[in-house]
Amino acid sequence: MANETQRPVTSQTKTKLWLDVLIFIAFLVTMDPHSSGIAIHEWLSLAMIGTMVVHLLLNWDWIIQLSSRFFGNVGKQNRINYILNWLLFIDGTLIMISGIMISEVALPAVGIQLPAGFAWRRLHDMSANLGLLLLGIHTALHWGWILTAFQRYLVQPIAGLFSTKQKEDAAL
Amino acid sequence: MKTIGRILIILAVFSALSALMVLAVNASGGSSSAPDFDGAPPQFEGQEGREGFRPEGGETRPEFGERGERGGGWMFGLTKNLVVISLLVTLIVLPKSIARNKKKRAIINPVNNGVS
Repeated sequence: MANETQRPVTSQTKTKLWLDVLIFIAFLVTMDPHSSGIAIHEWLSLAMIGTMVVHLLLNWDWIIQLSSRFFGNVGKQNRINYILNWLLFIDGTLIMISGIMISEVALPAVGIQLPAGFAWRRLHDMSANLGLLLLGIHTALHWGWILTAFQRYLVQPIAGLFSTKQKEDAAL
Repeated sequence: MKTIGRILIILAVFSALSALMVLAVNASGGSSSAPDFDGAPPQFEGQEGREGFRPEGGETRPEFGERGERGGGWMFGLTKNLVVISLLVTLIVLPKSIARNKKKRAIINPVNNGVS
């Protein structure tokens, strides 16, 4: 019974971990459009909307719990996390919408032309820089979870492979 | 069905925030304050057929994707962002970890740490 309930949680944690790694790498690539090129920057950013939605869906229970009990007894760390996550969401929305407004490749490719606005460009730069800071704090606040998940799903399986090989060698 | 509902909620919040941002920027007149720049390099014409003055080093402006290809610029950008995140993580995680260890030590060895 315990295994039946534990398995989905474990696989969800694994999915969360690899999705978060993917989002983190994608964010780093999109944060440097000079090196990736404007086309990759824009299309990857648009694709990130989808991954962000999945990220939110995977953490839906936590969001609902905290939303309903925010002013109750939820602990300081959880409250800070919740506020920071909202800031990240608002900043992410600002990055996306300002990016769409100044799009040079993705939107023209689907036949949409928007008038260029200098304010949107500045907003895009500012919100992206703020996003980097918020992502750093977000990573720091979840550092314990990240370490545990990496230990469980990356370090231990690899170490397990080596120890199994050693045992087999010793048996021979 | 439940998932679709949740996706719709996320997209609705995203759309509402986007609409607010567009309204705010339009209300502040931000979108109309764009400088008169169409991306084309300025033309320098001399007087009476002579070649005009051209500022030094202003031949071409690097476009996206060109800048980092020569001097490892893409590595710099990526490294810079990683360093910023690493610094933030260190600045937040390290003091917390030290404080937790101190607290643990105080619980294990209350006399030496002045805890009665």
